[in-house]
Amino acid sequence: MCWDSEAVEVISGLLHGFAVALTPVNLFWCFAGCFLGTVVGVLPGLGPPATIAMLLPLTFQMNPTSAVIMLAGIYYGAKYGGSTTSILLNVPGESSSVVTCLDGYQMAKRGRAGPALGIAAIASFIAGTVGVVGLMLVAPPLAKFALSFSSPEYFALMCLGLAMVVLLAGESMTKALLAMLVGLWVAGMGTDLFTSTSRFTFGNAEMLDGIDFVVVAIGVFALGEVLGNMEIRQGAQLLPVPKGLRDLLPTWQDLKDCRFAFLNGSVIGFLIGVLPGAGSTIASFISYGIEKAVSKHPEKFGTGVVEGVAAPEGANNSETGGAMVPLLTLGIPGSGTTAILLAAFILWGLRPGPLMIQDNPTLFWGLVASMYIGNVMLLVLNLPLVPLFAQILRLPAYVLYPAIFGISIVGVYSTSSSLFDVWMLGAFGLIGYAMRKLDYPSAPLILGFVLGDSMERALRQSLMMSQGDLSILVSRPISATMLFLAVLILVAPSFKKANAWRVRAIS
Amino acid sequence: MTARSFVVAFLLAVIASPIAAQGFNPSKPIEFVTHTGPGGGGDVLARAIAAAMEKEKLMPVRMQVVNKTGGGGHTAMSYLVEKKGDTHTIAVFTGLWFTNPIMRAEANITLKDLTPLVRLVLEPAMIVVKSDSPYKTLKEFIDAAKQSPGQLKQSAGSLGSRDWVVRQLLMKNTGANWAFISFPGGGERIAALLGGHVNMMVIEPQEAGEHIRAGNMRVIAQIADKRLPPFPNVPTVQEAGFDIPNVPQVRGLVAPPGIPAEVVAYWEDVFARFVKTPSWRKYLEDQLFEDGFQRSAELNKFIDQYSETTRGILRDGGVKVVR
Repeated sequence: MCWDSEAVEVISGLLHGFAVALTPVNLFWCFAGCFLGTVVGVLPGLGPPATIAMLLPLTFQMNPTSAVIMLAGIYYGAKYGGSTTSILLNVPGESSSVVTCLDGYQMAKRGRAGPALGIAAIASFIAGTVGVVGLMLVAPPLAKFALSFSSPEYFALMCLGLAMVVLLAGESMTKALLAMLVGLWVAGMGTDLFTSTSRFTFGNAEMLDGIDFVVVAIGVFALGEVLGNMEIRQGAQLLPVPKGLRDLLPTWQDLKDCRFAFLNGSVIGFLIGVLPGAGSTIASFISYGIEKAVSKHPEKFGTGVVEGVAAPEGANNSETGGAMVPLLTLGIPGSGTTAILLAAFILWGLRPGPLMIQDNPTLFWGLVASMYIGNVMLLVLNLPLVPLFAQILRLPAYVLYPAIFGISIVGVYSTSSSLFDVWMLGAFGLIGYAMRKLDYPSAPLILGFVLGDSMERALRQSLMMSQGDLSILVSRPISATMLFLAVLILVAPSFKKANAWRVRAIS
Repeated sequence: MTARSFVVAFLLAVIASPIAAQGFNPSKPIEFVTHTGPGGGGDVLARAIAAAMEKEKLMPVRMQVVNKTGGGGHTAMSYLVEKKGDTHTIAVFTGLWFTNPIMRAEANITLKDLTPLVRLVLEPAMIVVKSDSPYKTLKEFIDAAKQSPGQLKQSAGSLGSRDWVVRQLLMKNTGANWAFISFPGGGERIAALLGGHVNMMVIEPQEAGEHIRAGNMRVIAQIADKRLPPFPNVPTVQEAGFDIPNVPQVRGLVAPPGIPAEVVAYWEDVFARFVKTPSWRKYLEDQLFEDGFQRSAELNKFIDQYSETTRGILRDGGVKVVR
């Protein structure tokens, strides 16, 4: 009975929402947002928060519903575009597309740039839509659940993420762990949040806030790759260019291979998105890890498997739907982009908070409906772009490499407008190059770097809560479960090894 | 498209050279620097000012907000020093611009090294607990904290932030002691309170209002000189019987060093008119901010006095004071 009335409420709300979102004005703003988002996503460095902040003054004259439809379009649109440079150039366009580089760029190297871009768009579409369904159906109860997460649970979640290192390791586990430790160390640079002491700043004021993620990711991935390739001095053609339409789109087999990845990315991304302290980068890492863990051919990950693109790209898209849950139901922003959306609500004269949906049903349902429409628009917008973007690979190396350098530098400078960061980019480029030469995997470094900060923070917050008693980490059920899973993932390879050894011994 | 035009506009703003001021009137867009990223307190204020300025047409040129994040405000401050003598750059300062140089050796620029222009707002705050919390008043909370020292928790920002200062003052005044748990994001602080993981927090009045309306939170005291209109029944900290100085979050504007007096006078006049405009009054009213307008001379005095107070509070709180 109660369920029925709720269903009726959702359906009538959604119908109302479509009536709002399908007006020509709102359709136009939705398209404008999605288009801008795609552009911003493709450009490395400049992210959705900065774009939304820049456009904010334009929205003061607009109806808040149209404005939020456009700004949200930028937010999820950017997730679509983010994969493009990851796949084609090994330059992560957004922090959440770093994982996409692992298999995406390898696919491009093998002449499958088109299918990689295509599957990224399709995964984004499916997961983005699942995210909106989640936002629409389970937002209030899920927001309550998210509140039961606090520092101990976040610490456990970060441990779970860090345990993924065993899945990201290449040949040598030792090298992977070393790379991860370097990442954790670099994450610790800057200012200690709790005591305000500076760590590893070497007296540099520029280092007080630590090192920006964009600097590390672009340096290690993009510059490292370019430096490595320049040394090889291969011919004029860098990567094999896909020929014909058939090579440009994912095959039926690709789609079939990605069935589970679509589901995995959608669900993981949404759930992690709902947590205010997590973020889309960890969502993409965890979904990649799960994908590899359940795969029948885990050894092929990192050499260009299509699931390795679909899972993280899906996760970072459904994360946007998830991140809207605490924002709209509680007025709690979980990320940089949702923080500026919150600021926008205030500037438009809305009152963000637990009653916003109730007070502004038109805005909420209009936004939900526009997100359905926007995801379709993005798919239609992005699929035809695939052949176009794939043409970038036709550029000869002497054009492409300097271009990547240029894009990387502009990307880093545009996020912080600091020349110091550009120098740091160079330093991390050299580190990336050295790691490549010495055969150290770079993904664990990024993983450690991304998680280090939040992990340390969560641990110290937990210990402050418990007055130094470590048992707080295992006495809470959610945290204990996740820690158990993390240990399981960590020791699984040793079991496998022992098992293999035993089998060999018996035979 | 817009992304590119932004980059172009930005580069132009950076490259263009300062123009000598004579009977000063700005001749090109003003670069409006904030130390927070998009969506942060200073950024939102800068954008609100820029928008209201445009609407009220008090200036012949636009204001372009530029985010110089990092270093706890130091990046923005050293950027201003680099732009010495530039008459087309101003910046929003906040309380952090006082505390950061006092606490960190690397942050070697103080507000007095720049050209303080005007003070704009004083932001009051609310002390809140979750609605099902047993504490109905600030006194009940303090008493409970005295009974079990270190057991109660406050979710807050970093050391040296306003909520930290409030805690230090209250603990010193009452002898109570409770834990201070830092969360970098405002959202995480609220989530920790609503999830029942901490017992108390200091929150912006506007934000508190919505959670109170929804029945999630209860205000036990206000950090304000007099009771704010939406909370007529909640005592201020002093009315509740705690004799501590008020700690407003202060925000205002500074210019780079070496600015001619006539340019300072120009900004003072523009903002003296600006703070009387309906757009600005409405903004203050919506945000429940207090009008803290002061001209440059008064602001300079305020800075000295406020820095001294902050230094004392930090020292009492066991923080190493470096300058």
